[in-house]
Amino acid sequence: MTVVIETRALTKTYGAVRALDGLSLTIPRGGVYGVLGPNGAGKSTLFRILLGLIRPTEGEAIVMGGRVGDVAASRRMGSMIETPRFPPFMTARQVLEWLSIAHGLKADTARVAGWLERVGLTEAADRKVRGFSVGMLQRLGVAAALITEPELVILDEPTSGMDPPGIQEMRALIRALSERDGITVVLASHQLLEVQRVCDRVAILNRGKLVREGSVTDLTSAGERLRLSVTPMAQAMGVLGDRGTIEGDAILANLPRAEAPALLRALIQAGVDIDEARWIGADLESVFMTETGSVQHVEAIR
Amino acid sequence: MSVTMLADALRSEAYRFVRNRVTLFWSVIFFPVVALVLGTLGQFFVKAKMEDVRDAGLPPDVAQRLLATGSLNLGESLPVVTAGLAGPVLILFVLIGAATLYAGDYRWESWRLTTARNTRLNLILGKVGVAKLVTLAALILMLLLGLVGEVAKGLIFDRSITFSLTGDGASQTGLLFFLSYVRLVQVGLLGLLAAVLTRSLIATLFVPIVVSVAQAIFGSFLPMLGWGVGDWRAQFLFPGFAFDTLKAAIQAGAGVPSEGVSLAIASLAFWTLVPLIAAIAWFNRQDLSKE
Repeated sequence: MTVVIETRALTKTYGAVRALDGLSLTIPRGGVYGVLGPNGAGKSTLFRILLGLIRPTEGEAIVMGGRVGDVAASRRMGSMIETPRFPPFMTARQVLEWLSIAHGLKADTARVAGWLERVGLTEAADRKVRGFSVGMLQRLGVAAALITEPELVILDEPTSGMDPPGIQEMRALIRALSERDGITVVLASHQLLEVQRVCDRVAILNRGKLVREGSVTDLTSAGERLRLSVTPMAQAMGVLGDRGTIEGDAILANLPRAEAPALLRALIQAGVDIDEARWIGADLESVFMTETGSVQHVEAIR
Repeated sequence: MSVTMLADALRSEAYRFVRNRVTLFWSVIFFPVVALVLGTLGQFFVKAKMEDVRDAGLPPDVAQRLLATGSLNLGESLPVVTAGLAGPVLILFVLIGAATLYAGDYRWESWRLTTARNTRLNLILGKVGVAKLVTLAALILMLLLGLVGEVAKGLIFDRSITFSLTGDGASQTGLLFFLSYVRLVQVGLLGLLAAVLTRSLIATLFVPIVVSVAQAIFGSFLPMLGWGVGDWRAQFLFPGFAFDTLKAAIQAGAGVPSEGVSLAIASLAFWTLVPLIAAIAWFNRQDLSKE
């Protein structure tokens, strides 16, 4: 497995606050990788360290094979951190030309026009950015991150401030960057449904620590359960034992998929009528809520 | 790689600065043009009041300069115009451009767009390089329009215009121009240090002005302290005094103690390099995510 980002025992403290607490994380090349976590989990701090904006208190980070600050390695990476801002007197086209020059490229008008088109800013290309909405700034920020056609792009909340069509367009763009352009995308987002739809793997951070990491498929399937509508329920529970819990008018059975046929046969043999049996998956939100301890917090509020 | 990346930083700063037309106008164009217009209007005024000027009892050298007749030699005017380049008003306007360059990325929160792909040293030097070019452009425009003003003066007073520049005049002009340039850059670098320390455009603009004004005010008390041209305290505490020392030495050619000249050169070098080095050192450790 080729690795684009690796952190080892990365720690960042601000006075008494540990924004990152010994974070060790490996992000493979290829695909879309999501970094999730509640506010204050350390996502932005991690990204800022990876981009060399701040220095870690302890530990180290390797990006594109080089330590943070290795400019040759950093030049293979693009980024958009928080709501992007630009010199207000420049047009969107000028911003991309300026950044092309800053990053050692020619102000190639065709490439600039291409990226403006891909983020949906062609019509606003020659408008000054001081009049841009937050969503337009986000789009320009993504184009700015991609103007050098990097191998790795880090996007912090890329759909923040966008309307629903804009979010869908951004989701399509991110998938295309990964699948068509072969760019590894690392993104942070609070929109878990979006992350579930767009990411291949995720890491969940909480209080500066890694609490869960894996493919979206594995994380969500690990929580899936078999929902059974049966009568009589008491007899079915006798067969299931502690693998089953009654929720409303159904039983949720916690077992691997491979054991489901045997269970269904056992229920039938025990004289239980099965009206419906279907798998219900855990969505990323429930995994996130469980792993970050947010479930208990919500229950406490209730 | 590093030289190429420094060139990238310079080119990108220049690209962005040229597109900031408002700042370009105020820092490079405004004052030289206004100085030309006001100077020319002043010449018309003097001509209209010529009889009054003759009878005003002005000091002979002033009266002679105002009422001179005969041909006007631009070659002689050149060192005189050059000597007046680094005046406080031009410094103020050039600082507008320097402040925008030095503090702009804090103001626009745009540091994070460039820092990952270049070294911080290159990024700062790119800004300093473009600020130097802006300063040079303002000085050249000021000099050229100063000469245009001399031509206008000749035309207003019906004097024939000639150009004859001696070797001494040329070298004096060159040295005075270079000295003025160093003085403007030196004041601008105080702005760089203020920008990095405060992240504020206003501080970047006004700290060098306040420091320069304070030095000029306290500098006027130097004779009372008994600090002369050869006193290191006078030269090192007051870079404006060092500038005046060198200007006088260039204009006089002699009569200024060589010790004073050496101290003045060392002072200007000190006040140029120390703010630059301090700014780079601070910038290298700065958290650029807090903009």
